[in-house]
Amino acid sequence: MSSLSMALRLTPYLARSNGSSFRETGLRDAGLPILAFGTVTALLLTVAGGSQVFWSWSDDIAGTYQALAVVAMVLLIIPLLTLGASAARLAARRRDDRLASLRLLGANSATVVWMTVIESTVLAAVGAVAGAGLYACAAPFLGLIQFRGQAIGSHAWLSVPSILGCVLAVCVLAAASAALGLRKVVVTPLGVRTRQAADGAHWVRGLIAAVVVVIGVVAMGMLSSFGAFIVIIAVMGGCFGLALLALNLMGPWILRLRASSQLKRARKPEQLLAARTVLESPKESWRQVGGVAMTSFVGVFVGVGMAVADTMGGSAGDETALLVRDINTGVMITLLGSFLMVACSAGVNQAAAVLDRASMLVALDRVGMPRKLMVAARVKAVMSPLFLVAGISAAAAAVLVLPLTGAVLLTRPIVFLTIGAVFAAGFLLVRLAVAAGTAQIGQVLARPERYASMDS
Amino acid sequence: MNAILHAQQLTKHYPGSIALDHVDFLASAGESIAIVGPSGSGKTTLLHCLAGILRPDAGTVTLNTPSSPLRLDTLGDAALSRLRREEFGFVFQQGMLLPELTAVENVALALMLNGTDRATSESRAAEWLGALGLAGMEQRRLGELSGGQVQRVAIARAQVTGARVVFADEPTGALDSATSNEVLDVLLRSVAANGRTLLVVTHDPNVAARCQRVVELRDGRIVADNGSAVGSPVRPAPATNFKGAFNV
Repeated sequence: MSSLSMALRLTPYLARSNGSSFRETGLRDAGLPILAFGTVTALLLTVAGGSQVFWSWSDDIAGTYQALAVVAMVLLIIPLLTLGASAARLAARRRDDRLASLRLLGANSATVVWMTVIESTVLAAVGAVAGAGLYACAAPFLGLIQFRGQAIGSHAWLSVPSILGCVLAVCVLAAASAALGLRKVVVTPLGVRTRQAADGAHWVRGLIAAVVVVIGVVAMGMLSSFGAFIVIIAVMGGCFGLALLALNLMGPWILRLRASSQLKRARKPEQLLAARTVLESPKESWRQVGGVAMTSFVGVFVGVGMAVADTMGGSAGDETALLVRDINTGVMITLLGSFLMVACSAGVNQAAAVLDRASMLVALDRVGMPRKLMVAARVKAVMSPLFLVAGISAAAAAVLVLPLTGAVLLTRPIVFLTIGAVFAAGFLLVRLAVAAGTAQIGQVLARPERYASMDS
Repeated sequence: MNAILHAQQLTKHYPGSIALDHVDFLASAGESIAIVGPSGSGKTTLLHCLAGILRPDAGTVTLNTPSSPLRLDTLGDAALSRLRREEFGFVFQQGMLLPELTAVENVALALMLNGTDRATSESRAAEWLGALGLAGMEQRRLGELSGGQVQRVAIARAQVTGARVVFADEPTGALDSATSNEVLDVLLRSVAANGRTLLVVTHDPNVAARCQRVVELRDGRIVADNGSAVGSPVRPAPATNFKGAFNV
């Protein structure tokens, strides 16, 4: 019997569970991955639905809107893919114990891989269908957003084939991530072996990023010497891309530096635990909050740029004024969208982490560690990198357009107030999501017998 | 010897079964006591009731502190949590230490939770690790330590706060016999040297044989106790007779 056919026969058999075991493990095994995939699909459909309005226009300025929509989608697709990959890893990780038992019974590696891929894909399909339903509920509200002075209305609705395409894409993403994710663990008959050493974030990343930034600054400084308008636009676009590349290269390294510094200065147990959590895997921390880095950068960069354009274009026509306003709207929506994805990712990851370490939390509770301290450490481990990443990115953008930043601060302070309000709303969103995730600690400690033997 | 922990008529039910059935138990300061019995006999439930982890359905648990006796069964969750931090130490089968922390941080955390500053905590934690044979390994993460070394870290964590009673639940259950003996040596010697009381739940006759006193439970009742300080339902017996209790 081939590995695939064996996996196809075993997967439905193992998926069956009686009522009580489902109540105990259902949330951990299926609920969280389905929730995560549902969120990914709903956000993907919302972004696609919101963007398609720009392709329904065909006048002279439509090209500008379409180009900007592509940029916004690119900015959102990265955190969306990260969230999708987190959901897939979550789905695959749920089955660790069962997979090890199967290896003990003689199933080979290929069967285990196929089973993981099949289970992840099924969970993704269920979540994606639920996410499509969520999108259907959200679309009427999405239609209220205004571009070019009009609500986008029914343009926010995607066609059925498009929705099915998105659902399929989420399933493919889940399958691919599950297969790739298993490469990082070795499922042996004795258990699932994972890496023990903390993953590093080498200083070379910082060096490369610094070189990239220098190239960008030099290019920006020589901007006027490039002559042709199209070349200037291309160089500016290139510099923007380099800045994003530098952010991604430096991200994990900066988080590690900051966490190392916090570790040295830690006085309270929660500070020590939070710093160690980030140091355990700076790349994982970056994956959770990195999406905000790019959008924070763009939020400030474009926000300042548009404020200047609006000021200088006082005599421009209505169409230009509308374009500037619409870009501002788009930037703020993109910024909020990325915070929403980070919030979902953080909430799902925290809930999964709590359930993964349930027996450890029960043990810590027994030795007298206060519950609020466990929660505080987890909150700090997410919010501290988030504040750092958003702050550095926003500051980097402000520095890049420094003369303009000063001018806008003096002439259009409302721009900074708006950006600040969006950031505050985003932080609040993430904090609420982390609170929802860490609420699982209370659930775990309320029924410790589920996670630690007490009957001997 | 002075009584430190005294349980009277402890009763605890689980749906469909009785885990503890009117159990009387007294532990004296400095004693090492093995609690043995077949699976489901109520060993861990007794340990958890004595440690203030579980509330008994009936009966009392009293801890004699230097200031005054404390009734554990009447304390609130926060007070019990504080009591477990300050008066008790715990060693679990799997160590249950935080893998992201180093060895010294895991031990120091117990002191930091009680409000000791970090520098003092880490200094005292390092002393304990050194005394338990882990000198030079303070900065290692748990993944870089063997199973026996991890249990030594857990033993240090259990005692670094000055806990007067150490509770151990199958502390050598996940170790091979040679490592198990080493860890048990460390546990018994450190507890005795510091005048602590040790209560250890075990299936291992070798562990029980090395404790001063062995208490055997069956169906939620104490059926044998070779050093009981309280009356019925206790039947004194020599330690060597307890081998039969491990045939589970």
